[in-house]
Amino acid sequence: MIMNIKYGITEKEIEAARFCLKCASDLGAEGARVSLSKNVLDTVAVLNGEIDKVTHCADRSIYLYLYIDGKYGTYSTNLIEKDQLGDFISRAVAATRLLTKDEYRKLPQASRYAKDAASGLELGLYDPEYADITPDQRMELALAGTHLEDEQSSDYRIVSVECEWNDSVDDNYLIDSQGFEGRHTETSFSFWTEVTICAEDGKKYSGYSWKASTRLKDVSAEGCSHQALEKAVAQMNPKRVRSGKKTMVVDCNASSRLVSPLLSALSASSIQQKNSFLEGCLGKKVFSQDFYLDDLARTPGKAGSRLFDTEGVATADRVVIEGGVVRMFFVNTYMAGKTGMEPTIEGVSRPVVRPFSVIGKNEEPGMEETGVRGLTQKEIMLQCGEGILVTGFNGGNCNQTTGDFSYGIEGFLFRKGRIVHPVKEMVITGNMKDLWGSIIAAGTDAREGTRWQIPSLAFKDVTFNA
Amino acid sequence: MELNRDHFLKTFRTDVRQMENIVARALANGGDWCDLYFEYTTYNELMLRDSEVTSGGFHVDYGVGIRVLSGERTGYAYSESTDYQDMLSAAKAASVISLSSRGGNTLLSSRGGSHISSRPGDATTLSSRPGIAKGDISPKPYYQALHPWAEASSEAFIPFLKDIEQRIKFRDSRAAKVIARLSYSYTDILMFNSLGELTWDSRPLGSVTVSVIYSSEGRNESKSASRSFRYGAEMIGEKLCEELVSEATRGIDALFEARRPKGGKMPVVMGAGASGILLHEAMGHAFEADFNRKGQSIFAEKMGQRICPQGIDIIDDGTIPGNRGACNFDDEGVPGQKTYMVSDGILTSYLHDRISAGHYGVAPTGNGRRESFRFAPLPRMRATYMGSGTANPESIIAGVRKGIYVDEFSNGQVKIGEGDFTFYVKSGFLIENGRLTAPVKDINIIGNGPQALSDILAVGNDLKIDDGTWTCGKEQSVPVSVGMPTVLVKSLTVGGE
Repeated sequence: MIMNIKYGITEKEIEAARFCLKCASDLGAEGARVSLSKNVLDTVAVLNGEIDKVTHCADRSIYLYLYIDGKYGTYSTNLIEKDQLGDFISRAVAATRLLTKDEYRKLPQASRYAKDAASGLELGLYDPEYADITPDQRMELALAGTHLEDEQSSDYRIVSVECEWNDSVDDNYLIDSQGFEGRHTETSFSFWTEVTICAEDGKKYSGYSWKASTRLKDVSAEGCSHQALEKAVAQMNPKRVRSGKKTMVVDCNASSRLVSPLLSALSASSIQQKNSFLEGCLGKKVFSQDFYLDDLARTPGKAGSRLFDTEGVATADRVVIEGGVVRMFFVNTYMAGKTGMEPTIEGVSRPVVRPFSVIGKNEEPGMEETGVRGLTQKEIMLQCGEGILVTGFNGGNCNQTTGDFSYGIEGFLFRKGRIVHPVKEMVITGNMKDLWGSIIAAGTDAREGTRWQIPSLAFKDVTFNA
Repeated sequence: MELNRDHFLKTFRTDVRQMENIVARALANGGDWCDLYFEYTTYNELMLRDSEVTSGGFHVDYGVGIRVLSGERTGYAYSESTDYQDMLSAAKAASVISLSSRGGNTLLSSRGGSHISSRPGDATTLSSRPGIAKGDISPKPYYQALHPWAEASSEAFIPFLKDIEQRIKFRDSRAAKVIARLSYSYTDILMFNSLGELTWDSRPLGSVTVSVIYSSEGRNESKSASRSFRYGAEMIGEKLCEELVSEATRGIDALFEARRPKGGKMPVVMGAGASGILLHEAMGHAFEADFNRKGQSIFAEKMGQRICPQGIDIIDDGTIPGNRGACNFDDEGVPGQKTYMVSDGILTSYLHDRISAGHYGVAPTGNGRRESFRFAPLPRMRATYMGSGTANPESIIAGVRKGIYVDEFSNGQVKIGEGDFTFYVKSGFLIENGRLTAPVKDINIIGNGPQALSDILAVGNDLKIDDGTWTCGKEQSVPVSVGMPTVLVKSLTVGGE
């Protein structure tokens, strides 16, 4: 079914994708998958109340996955006229034949395919209002709320106010030689602002704020620049804090950074290569008994939801970590063959950390969780009493093989739940297993409009250096 | 093989008259600059995993980016087709910037909207002459593929990747898993602008990365090595293989012994080569003129001032032959050049694209770079390094009573306004009483750019350019490289136990 979506995939482009499958088959491929992707992004950037940059980006490309004589190759092109595609596929087939056979490279079992993604609109991620946005409206949206004249202070001057409006549509169509056909269409809208100030001593500080959604009506500039300014001002006069083990609260705008290494380590590809600190952990309790991480891939209207992965395999709502126990790895068809594990899904779609708190309760393992659910970040800080509120990470890394990490942080010292002062040049260091073993709270403030629903988090006994 | 003008015009199915028409359409609403950036890239990859090269492929990207400048404001659009009508549509979209009633930077307008310095004798004067072709500006290119990738068969590279794995496993029986990747691309670029300048370039880029998992007594550790050059297939051979294998098998005992040091502030000796990440993060980004034009950089008002000790030069260089960051021309058609950001400790130049050069009234420095035709150019680094000093590297280490020596890195980051930078150390050693002792790994180091610059106590005589696969991710990804002699910084904050 072809929907009339502005800038969406056309019937002619779908024909081009089908032509690729047929052409590959004619040239001897025993299997093939074609992914047609089309996206349009419009951006208006504003600097100090004046339009600074207007961009219009329109992309379309075809990805071709070929299975020939037990060999496998991946190819892509954005030259998708029929005469160009014929030559492209011929070269792709020839290139695949040069590779070494791999018995595990196969299309998925057809029974695992999604069967409910015919129009691309099933999840309600396409906003029809997208079609009506005009260039003038974009400029108005970008310019809204960028003026901060009334915010001047004797303590600082505003150096720059940068704002950016983005709206986009992504339309993806996937077919393969076993008969799979699926489509996924979504819109995205966001407003972002960054304010830089200069303090009396000449030092500069920046703060940012943003809003994002799949729905136009949910995104506005209102309050963003003021919030960004507040964040910049709050960072003035940072002080060094003594090194040591402290309670760490991580703001919901930064907490995804700590979840990312977990999800990478749960990939069967990493595990097969012995490049995962979670190798051998399936079914074992590795983290805090209070820690739950779900993959809620099929929630209608929520960014990140999808009905099928890049293989066409149906997604499902799954528990990834349940009470600290690793319940699943991300296993695609190839890795299932190589490792002997049951295939699941190629990767996470929409990770969600469940809220909880055991702060102030008996935190010993094995005790029944009796904490209050649904805490805000403020309440978490109040319950923690003293610690460091991390509002952003500055560099750093996690060694995926061992789980050892070290990150630069920015944030604030807090006492009795209240901010005392910003911290200066601090680093946290530890191991991911230990860190997630010491989680004591997860809030309810995950940002709307983000694919990863990670709220503010609290951990005890984190090593800080300064 | 030197490709001529006709090759590029034919590749993009265009001619000068057509390009002039497109520029005229783009400027129909006003505006004082327009440029067209045509690109045709073929990117190839091969991967060895579990002892066999079982996956690979190629990816084709083709299109044209059209930029309109109105004062310092930018309108940008691109087309994945170079059919005339499609390019006109993109030109129309980019021209919207000139219709915007709000804006118009008064500073630039007062300078007549020029983005070209007319200072005699400099590179920009050359580049601004209408109709000039590449050979006339830069007769000696900084890269050339002797054996073009386009003419190579990927089959020929399979033994090379297998050889890497076999040598690694032969040298260290703890090597349990090896992934070896070869990627290579060849890009044809054609640039035309409203001054009538026509410029073209052909850019080869080959990269090999090796990742090894070592297993011993139930523990796994990882080690990697990479090399990347703007050469053709002639780079694949014994020398490259041996370099990668040596690096991927070096220091494995130390890797298993390494521990986190006690953290805190301490002297840090940056080993020669990859330590250039310090310059890239702590200084290079802050010298990029877009941040300074907006007043956001910590170095925004420091031009002409001393920012580090005498004797120190910090350079961003697009002229190192075959280097990953080399540019015959940048992505605005400005000839490749070598830019001294710091001379003898004094801040002497930012890194400019045409917009920031116009803002400051100076010549562009050839730093206008972009990821692809999908992006408008920005001031970006190329190969960033510090010039050699006079100190003996061993004596630098010998002079530290208690500190840390670092020589392998994975990534870094900087906060432009505050100047706070970090970089992640994959490996290094404790320094105790002037000697390297216990190995360390997986630590983040944090400092403040201006403070770190002024805290440089010694510069070694051993400048080394690191030829790893460095990629800078400021809004867009562009290939860069870094370099550094051995340097002692008085005090940085080291993450640890």
